[in-house]
Order: sequence, then C-alpha cells, then structure tokens
Amino acid sequence: MIELILIIFTSFFLGLFYSFLIRKFSARLQWRIGPLVFMYKDLRSIMGITRIIQPLYDIIKLFGKKTIIPESSRKRLFIYSPYISLIFAFISIFFIPFSGISLLSNVPYSLVIVSYLLIGSLLFMIIGPIASGSPWAFIGVRREAELFLVTEFGFIISLFSMAISKNSLILWEISISEFNLVNITAGLLMFTSILGKLHIKPFDMSEAEAEIVAGPYTEYSGKLLGIYYLTKIFLIYDFIALFISIFIPINTLPIYLSIPLFLIISILIIFILSIIHVLNPRYRIKNALIWYIKIISILCLINIITMVM
Amino acid sequence: MSENIINRIKEIYPNGLEYEISGNWLIIKVKPEELDKIAKIMINLGARINHVTAIDLESKGFEIINVYDITHTNISLDNITNIIFKANISKIKPEYPSIGKITWQAVWAEKELKELLGINPIGLPDSRHQFLPYEWPNPVESKLREIPEVNIDGNYLQLKMPIKEAYQSLIPIGPYHPGVIEGQVVYVKVEGEEIVAADIKTGFHHRGIMKLIENRGYNRGVFLAERICGICSGAHGLAYITCAENLFDIEIPERALYIRTLLAELNRIHSHLLWLGVVADVIGWKTGFMYTWGLRERILDIIESITGNRITYGIWRIGGVSRDISKEIAIKAKRAIEELKEEFSKMALEIANHPVIKSRLISVGKLTYQQAFNGGAVGPTARGSGWKIDVRKDNPPHAIYDQSIISWEIVTDEGCDSYARMIVRIKEVLVSTDIVIQCLDYLSKRSGEIKSKVEEKPSKIEAIGLNEAPRGELFYYMKLYENNSLQAIRIRTPSYRNNALIPLMLIGCNLADVPVVMGSIDQCLACTDRIEVIKNNHRKIMRWEDLIVMSVNMSKKKGLL
Repeated sequence: MIELILIIFTSFFLGLFYSFLIRKFSARLQWRIGPLVFMYKDLRSIMGITRIIQPLYDIIKLFGKKTIIPESSRKRLFIYSPYISLIFAFISIFFIPFSGISLLSNVPYSLVIVSYLLIGSLLFMIIGPIASGSPWAFIGVRREAELFLVTEFGFIISLFSMAISKNSLILWEISISEFNLVNITAGLLMFTSILGKLHIKPFDMSEAEAEIVAGPYTEYSGKLLGIYYLTKIFLIYDFIALFISIFIPINTLPIYLSIPLFLIISILIIFILSIIHVLNPRYRIKNALIWYIKIISILCLINIITMVM
Repeated sequence: MSENIINRIKEIYPNGLEYEISGNWLIIKVKPEELDKIAKIMINLGARINHVTAIDLESKGFEIINVYDITHTNISLDNITNIIFKANISKIKPEYPSIGKITWQAVWAEKELKELLGINPIGLPDSRHQFLPYEWPNPVESKLREIPEVNIDGNYLQLKMPIKEAYQSLIPIGPYHPGVIEGQVVYVKVEGEEIVAADIKTGFHHRGIMKLIENRGYNRGVFLAERICGICSGAHGLAYITCAENLFDIEIPERALYIRTLLAELNRIHSHLLWLGVVADVIGWKTGFMYTWGLRERILDIIESITGNRITYGIWRIGGVSRDISKEIAIKAKRAIEELKEEFSKMALEIANHPVIKSRLISVGKLTYQQAFNGGAVGPTARGSGWKIDVRKDNPPHAIYDQSIISWEIVTDEGCDSYARMIVRIKEVLVSTDIVIQCLDYLSKRSGEIKSKVEEKPSKIEAIGLNEAPRGELFYYMKLYENNSLQAIRIRTPSYRNNALIPLMLIGCNLADVPVVMGSIDQCLACTDRIEVIKNNHRKIMRWEDLIVMSVNMSKKKGLL
C-alpha cells in the first residue's frame, strides 16, 4: 500500500525531471542556457536556488491564470476532457512496474489495462480541442489524430508481440521474463511510436506554432491548459517507465541496483530523445505518415520473424 | 551619338512628344492615352517595369512616370539602361489606361497611385485598396464587413468567392500570427490541408516615410532612408546615395567606393544569415535558427567595429563616406570573415543535404521562369527561377561591382522552388564573403581620400538610383524643384514586388507550407509598408552619455578599440 502512495510522488517528480531534462539538453545542444540548475547568486533571493522544477512552476503559473471558455465551444466536453485525460494518465502509473516494484502490474490482463488507459488519455487530448470550435484546433487535431493512428499501430503491435513471445498478458510477468531478441525488435518499434506520442521534433506538427498557432490547445488557457500540461508530465513518466519495464530486464535485480539503473537508463533515453528533437526540423503530416508506415511495416516484419524464430 | 540613340528608339516607338537623354536614362514624353500601348510594346520586347509612379505637379496636374529596365532586352542603345516614359494628366480628370491589365508587375504600384494620389488607372484588374482596409470608407464596426469580390482573369489572385463563403471558409494567417513576424494577412482557403485559393493584404503599418524625406530635403534624407528597414538598412543607404549622386556630376574617390561595397556586402551576408534562421525557425528547426543567428552576430560585430553602429550604419554621404577603416580593423575583420566563411560553408552543406529540410522545401512554392518574369519577381526569388538578373551587374550602384576589378558571379538556380531560393541565398553568402575579403585586402593595403567635394547645386533635376538589396532590386526616384529642394521621392522595395506573387505560389501547397512559402521570398514588410518600430518598455532610464560609455566599454572588451 505504501508503494502505491509513494509512486504518486515519484512518478510526478520523475515526470517533471524528465521534461526539465528534455528542455535542458535541447537548450545546451542549441547553444542556449535553458532552465538553470544553479541559479545566479544575486538572483537566488528572488528566483530560488534551482530551477529544476521549472515545468512545475509553469503549471503553477497557469493555475493562477484566468480560464477563458470560448462561446463557440461545446462547454461540457471542452471543460471535462482535460480532467478525464489526466485521470487516465494518472491511473496508469499504478499499473506500470517501477524498477523491481510490481505495484498493481501483477493483476490479470494488466497489459491490456495499461494500453487502454494510455490510449484513453491521448484520446481525450484530441476530443477536448475538437469541442473548442477553433479552426486552428481543428487542423491541429486532424494532424494529431492521423499521427495517433499510425503511432498506436506500432505501439500495440510491439506490446502484444511481447505478450505473445512471453506467453502472458500480465505486465509484471513480461517484465521479469527472460531477455531475448524480441525485446530488441519490439523495443525499437515502441521507441519509434513514443517519438510521435511525445511530439519529439520531426513529429511535432500538431503543435507547430509557426503554422497553426498552438494547434489543439489554441483555445485552452489557465487551469484547463495547466491540466493538460500536468497530463503530459504523467505521460512522459508512463511511456518511459513502460518502455524500461517491458524491454529492459532490470526488474529481477535487487532494488538497490535496479533503481539507479532505472534512473540511468531513463536519462539516457531522454538524452537520445533530445538529440533527435534538436537535430530535426518538423515534418509535414503527410511525410510523417509515410515515414511511420514505412518504418513500422519494416520493423513489424522483423518483429514477426524474430517471434517465429 | 545621342541623336543616333534617339533615332533608334524612334524606330521602336515613333509617337513620342519629346526625347531626351540624361545620364544612363532615356526620357520620353508621351500622351497619357498611349501608356498601355507602350507597355505592350516594351513587355513584348522583353523589358521589365522598374516602377510605375506619379508626381503631384500642383496646379499643372499629375505627371505619370513609367520606368522600364531594358538591360535584358535586344534593344541596344549603347549605355542606356532605363527608359522613362512620362505623361501629364489633368487634375480635373485624373485618368489613364491601366498598365496593370497588361502585366501584373504594375498592379500594386497602380493600386498605390490610386490610393495615395487619387489617380484612376482605367481597367485596373484588382481594384481593392492597397494600404487602407478593404472595408474603407464603410465603418469597420458595421456588422457587414465585406471583402470585395475580385474579378480577375489572370492567374495571380485566385480568391473568387462570395462574401459569405469567404468568411466561413477562409483561414487568416495574420495580421498577428506566430509564423509571420510582421503584420500582414494571407487569407487561405483550404480543402483538408491543401490550399485552393489565397489572397494577400498588406498595409498594416504604412507610415509615409516618402513624405517625411520630402520634408527633410535630399541631403538629410539618407538617415531616414536607412531606417525604412532594419535588415537591409545598408542597401537602402547605398540606393539612396546612388540616386542623390546621380543628380550631380561628381567623381567619388575609389576608397569610398570600396568601403561602400564592403558595407553593402556585409549587409547582404547578415540579411541572408538572418533569413536562413527565420526559415529554420518556421520549419521548426530551432537549432538552425540559433546557429545562423550566432554567425550573424559576428557580422554585426564587424559592422560595429567599422561604422560604430550595428544596424543603421549612418556613414553614407553624398560624394563619399564619412568614416575610414583603419588598417588594423581591416586585417582583423578579414580574419574574422575567413573563419566565418569556413564555418558557414560546413553548415551550409549540412543544411542543404538534411533530408527533412529537403522534404519541406523541394517543390514547395513553385514559381516558374515565365511566372517570375510576368509577375515581376526580383532578387533571389527571380534568380531561384533561373532568371539571371542582378542590379549589381545590370545597373550598378555607386560602389565597386566591376567584374574586371572584383571577381564575383551572379548565382542562379533552375529549381524554381523554395529549395532553389535557399541554395541561391547560401551561394550568395559565399560570393559576398569573397567580395568582402577582396575589399578588405584593398583597404588594408592602400590609403586615400574618402569624400570628394560636392557642388552646391545639382546639375539635373531628376534621377533614379538602383541597388541590389538582399531581397532584390531596390528602386529610388528623386525629383527636385527649380530651387534645389526635393519635390518628390519614390521608393520601390523588392518585397513590394515579391509579395504580390505570394498568392500564386501558395496554390496547391499544403497548409504547413504557408509560412515556408512566405518566408522563402524573404519578405520584409517594413520595406513594403515603410515603417519604423518603436520599442519603449525599458524600466531603467539611461541617459545618452551612459549609453555611449556602455558601448565604448563593450567595444574595448571585444578588442575592437
């Protein structure tokens, strides 16, 4: 029980830390400073010692702002979907094992539960903006939905190929099973879909500010936007924890080894994501879809071959 | 010799009232009814319109002025580069047959005539306002805001739809939009994400800089001309000075010419680097943006060490320049430029070969050679369509651009798309660095006068001055009163021409390409509308002396002083 309470704080702060790291790494790679780890001495009295939790400050600021609800929107859907999205993302943290701690991941069908929860969270990130009635949001959502479909394809296939090869639908059993070739191929498939789901750079066309202002979130402001930001914090944690627990066998190790390993691997993944983020301009949605279909079909083929072997 | 030229032009156009040669221009007075026929003849011969404008002669009516560039035609008139057709019309009935119905090059200019002087070009295809809101004089607050319907047979404006439909289905990109830095609206109609119709409206910050210069007089106007645009301020300064010097018969010292070339080319480098950054930002590549703007910062440092200013140089004078370059600075600047060239060529290769950049730019914003020619594209936009025009060669400003003294080449590309325009600009940066290095070589080895004496009274009463700004051909026209004060100045900036082609280039593109296409012509709306931006939200009040001390310290820190 105590684990379930602890994981709330752990996942929240890890999510914050990851989004800080993406910002910091990409800033340093772009000859910028980014959020400071140690604040300048003369500014410490105002700004605090460190800005590692800068993403949290952003959210707190948003909660203090006025929320504007456009008249043209379908109000109930517009207001509730950020909360539903947050709830889905939040609940899924309990079903994903965290470095050797099983949490709720050993309940039957936990793999299916997790995949449904993550899809649900992303779905309500799409449905809310549709209700806003803004043309920018429509175009953004259209792109988001198209991207969602192709990334979901790879995501589901990689999850269930693991389930088939380990012969189990329980996440914990998959995570403690033996490492084999499917882990690598399915892991690659998962990684490509995470790129699209977290809007890493060639695939951030749904929030391309130069083209469609803020995309889906154009009409969102204040607390509702803050809720979406919060959802993203949990989602980053969800995807990275899921990736590590399924594909990298650290859950069999004792806790004093697995927790540092989890941190190191997750920071490494964030670093790779930042490099991809920095090196690429954004794709057009058409090019992105073609890229995904090509890559996913190749990876799926390889995946099936390894599974049969 | 001049009679010979006049005889030859009479073979082409015999109905002129008066023929006169002044400098490199042939001035022909004609009847106003003939202007559209002349346009037809000239366009068929391959000439292009520099500008169409008019001057208010007070009680004598208006004088319509059509300037044609004949450097790319078969008309060989020795050293004549431009033909100026003039026609007088009365103020009671200020009308003449429109040139815009013959070529798209003149449409924006004629719209401007209509708005600023009240002249009515009969048969102008696009009769909507250029600078005023479309709804004017109907009040903006009225419930029924109307976009007037357009009836155009040409290909340049595709927006033919009823008002109601327009408001339901158009996506306005601007006037305030993160993709466009300055104020303008591009209305696009999309089906899915594909653009089927587009229209452009500028004029959100017209400030009347031409009138301000007229009030200040021609010898003080250069400081205002430099402030038309912050990015190509050097090009504006050089064009203005070229125009003003054409009024006089003076020889400019060689060293001054070299300094002018140096600054104009440094200006071009920094403008193109800035453009690369903007395009990188628009396609979502923040890294490219940071890197190119970092390189640009070094160019600005060099300019600062030469002129004392970073953006507006303030050294252009009639008859020369006001500041010399010391040997040490020339040598230092040369070293810096060489380093920059090396770094830039490495980066340019990476940019040009990046797969995602290629996929975003290739065959986006297509503009064929014929479209560019008919629409009157200038600068890198025209050169990206394989059209070899460059004012520096055709009609050089008062600086050193003689290809026998300084080796440089006109860069063109046959791609006809945004990628071709990018390649042209990247190559131009490299060409410009070569010119800069040659200039600095000369300046570090020799010394001499930098300013010659100017007579009190100019020998001519009107002149044109052209310069190749980073965005294309920049056109200045000046006319003086008999008492040596400025009667009129007319400025035609490159973006003015290229912006008019945006709707054409957008058709068939993806919505994601709109900022790319708009960026690819390197539009500068400050130029188009002629404005000045004032930023005044500093809390700290600094006196003038503090600023000077600060800048001196800064320069010392960098080792420039």
